[in-house]
Amino acid sequence: MMYIGAETMISPMGASTEENWKSMLANRSAIGWVDQVGLHHEKLPLARFDALTTDRRFHSLVFDCLQAVSQAIDASLLWHASTQVIVSATKGAVDDHLDRPFDGVMHPLQKAFDLKRLPLIVSNACISGVQAINIADELVAAGEAEHVIVIAADLASQFVINGFQSLYAISDKPCAPFDIARKGITLGEAAAGVVVSRNRGIFKEEPLSLLAGYSSNDANHISGPSRTGEGLVRAVRRTMARHQKQAADLDLLSVHGTATQYNDEMEAIAINRLGLQNLPLLSLKGYFGHTLGAAGVLETVATMQMLRHGVQLKSLGFEKLGTSQPLNVLANNKVKEFNCFLKTASGFGGGNAALMVEKI
Amino acid sequence: MDQLKEDLKHQIIEQLNLEDVTAADISDDMLLFDANGLALDSIDALEMIVLLEKYHGIQVVNPEEGKSAFLSVNSLAEYIRQKSN
Amino acid sequence: MIKITGYCHITDLLCAVNGKILLQPSPDSEHSWFRQIYNFADIQYPKFHKMDALAQAGVLGVELIRLFAARPMDFQDEGVDLVFANRYASAATDRRFQASYADHMSPSPAIFVYTLPNIITGEIAILKKWYGENTFVVMPEFDPGFFTSYIQRHIARGCEAVIGGWVQIDEENTEVFIFLAEPIPAEPIPAEPIQADDGAVRLGVRELLEIYQQHLS
Repeated sequence: MMYIGAETMISPMGASTEENWKSMLANRSAIGWVDQVGLHHEKLPLARFDALTTDRRFHSLVFDCLQAVSQAIDASLLWHASTQVIVSATKGAVDDHLDRPFDGVMHPLQKAFDLKRLPLIVSNACISGVQAINIADELVAAGEAEHVIVIAADLASQFVINGFQSLYAISDKPCAPFDIARKGITLGEAAAGVVVSRNRGIFKEEPLSLLAGYSSNDANHISGPSRTGEGLVRAVRRTMARHQKQAADLDLLSVHGTATQYNDEMEAIAINRLGLQNLPLLSLKGYFGHTLGAAGVLETVATMQMLRHGVQLKSLGFEKLGTSQPLNVLANNKVKEFNCFLKTASGFGGGNAALMVEKI
Repeated sequence: MDQLKEDLKHQIIEQLNLEDVTAADISDDMLLFDANGLALDSIDALEMIVLLEKYHGIQVVNPEEGKSAFLSVNSLAEYIRQKSN
Repeated sequence: MIKITGYCHITDLLCAVNGKILLQPSPDSEHSWFRQIYNFADIQYPKFHKMDALAQAGVLGVELIRLFAARPMDFQDEGVDLVFANRYASAATDRRFQASYADHMSPSPAIFVYTLPNIITGEIAILKKWYGENTFVVMPEFDPGFFTSYIQRHIARGCEAVIGGWVQIDEENTEVFIFLAEPIPAEPIPAEPIQADDGAVRLGVRELLEIYQQHLS
């Protein structure tokens, strides 16, 4: 069995998994208003670390997150020859070091933690996080690493704010995934980490079971989601088939849900094509904003908390369904023991990725 | 010759990085987004908005509004004249 | 047995397939170096002109292998996984995007959509209508061990082919090495030379590094 555990979240809502879970349970959001940050000096909703007290730069976020993850496992594993660290991120330190966005998390990270192997950076747009966990599974299954630590982080940099604004993709109010009045994304920043291993004994807290999946490209457009959801359908179908799972075996869908018109519509079409439209579904973007390369890991970790605590959280920002196909979007928190969830992500470049986590 | 329309053709080529296209290839009424025209796409439409702001000081708040204006060089010129009056 | 059945280099000095030089940049040309290769190979793909250099390199690499290593690449649409790497992600395009908003505060959406390194895999997937897995990783230098084990893992789980390589492009430097790896039925002769007449190379860490180094160091 492949285990996933030692999960950690660092977001504007809290520096630990516990703090974040407490806030999520109360349906609080990391999204606030930031003055003058827009292209025309307008204020924008953003889930950003408080610049005055906790200014987090990319490197420090990755370092802090790896530190936190190492405390949830046998810490000596960090300097094992068979431990691989994967960093998942899209833009890295782009605002500070445009020409070398990832240099700070290669050799300096290796040196600081005395890692035997150079960290591997996965930079695959918004599916980076889900894919990084799937690659971790691949490496452990093939015997190329005994334990893989996945650290995901991204910042709501001026670079990405300007970029998404140039695409008219940023909402002027906090994002509302799948809602009829949705107006686009809200950017967020965060870090999250997990450990993937076949050795249950390394985890201080009981891990969960990782049912790793696949990714599939839409082969359609680099910045527009497929109208048919083809890539997402294929990624989920292959992931479920790999573990012989049917719709009835799944209890919760933790989807991408960016709150753009096209993304949410694409997901609704794909979920209906997969026959999963009756399953409870949520997007976590209303809590954390869109954290880009961190999203896949952060949202897997957040959904793992729901599995551990027996609560399915409401899809924050959602009131009335605004997709052409039916979906069972969670409108309220629901206390419910459950066994298994599916996590999906879709992103620029046409990527779609999926994985599942279930109780042992 | 309508100078605004000539300028627009050069600005479109420059802003949209159109290779192998000269101003002479773009007729005033050519449908820019049509496969038989310049075959522009949705990202090009957003670049047109940048063009309007950069060269003509016109801010398009709602990209939907631009759609009818971007049909051809003729409609673009008309839109710019309307906005600057 | 897995073989590298075709590979392509593009540097500032040359363009080569399976080690053999096809073209060198003409200093008199009005066209960019990549555009010269595009014209030479007689590729007809208007979208090419809108792409950034990374994505152009990906399209050129795949098309050059198809044309000049004579690989048909008629795989099933889910049969091909793509894996690319470089050191500085999309830094060169990032700088162009930054310039677009630093000057006029009018950021260019057409540049922004290329400010992710994995767009190269998306453009190849669109070109070939391939729905397989795409991965982009960042590493300090070409790591033949990483690529060799990726190819072995993915072909072991049923992939018909893996296409990937190293694509580091900035103002000073062009380092493009793209390969096609396919499972080929084992030959009856055990003492087969590393490089056969058709240019195919047996997959191995050392072999992959050797062919990379034919035109890159």
